[in-house]
Amino acid sequence: MRRGIDERTILDKFVEDFCEVVEKHVKYIICSGFVAIAHGRSRGTEDIDMIIEKISKEKFLKLHRDLDKAGFECMQSSKPEEIYEIYLINGDSVRYTLKGEFLPEMEIKFVKDELDLEQIKTRQKIPFTKLNIFFSSIESNIAFKEELLGAEKDLEDAKHLRIIYQGKIDEEKINKLKKRIGAVRYGKR
Amino acid sequence: MERDKTHLEQVERWAIFVRENPNWKFKLKPFLDSQIIIARRAYEELNKTKEGREKIKLLRGRK
Repeated sequence: MRRGIDERTILDKFVEDFCEVVEKHVKYIICSGFVAIAHGRSRGTEDIDMIIEKISKEKFLKLHRDLDKAGFECMQSSKPEEIYEIYLINGDSVRYTLKGEFLPEMEIKFVKDELDLEQIKTRQKIPFTKLNIFFSSIESNIAFKEELLGAEKDLEDAKHLRIIYQGKIDEEKINKLKKRIGAVRYGKR
Repeated sequence: MERDKTHLEQVERWAIFVRENPNWKFKLKPFLDSQIIIARRAYEELNKTKEGREKIKLLRGRK
């Protein structure tokens, strides 16, 4: 699925290289802003959002070791035990960059509820992006951006995705997801 | 400042261009790459001073 090197952006290369390591240890999804950017949205970002399944400390230590070997470092701590115990297990995210580079950053966090878990279960590679990585579905990205995030850039990202997939989007799925987001994240019935 | 409707119109125009032009990435690549390159340069400048390094820590939310 990999294309000619000239077409890949700095972000594309960073994300594909990072995901290649992570996939060997745990299921992940890339979600939020980079989904829109990978579909041609003309805006920048410094961080890419990744959600991973909750894993044991032992598994995480192996993942961190392989990320280190592949040239990545964690901004919060160089000690994987600390990264796991102080941040990840408490629901906080951590950020990895290429060693010696400030940007871009991969922001990683554990799944926090059934919505995140379902996004991982229904993850998919998206041919339009020509990237060899797993994304959360287009419908869930639209639903989260319109229902939960709601900043101007998020609404514009959702609009962009709606235009790219015009006529192919499952609106019923989006509406159901929005209701569940309301129930799970806001306690709405 | 709130963006006016011409901004949203541009978002729409660009999305339609992307949808209909398979080579859209060649147009977008310099723009996306330059943002990372410029931001890296800014961080490198910050990193040259003690005060700057403190600001980077704040930006990164290190515990």
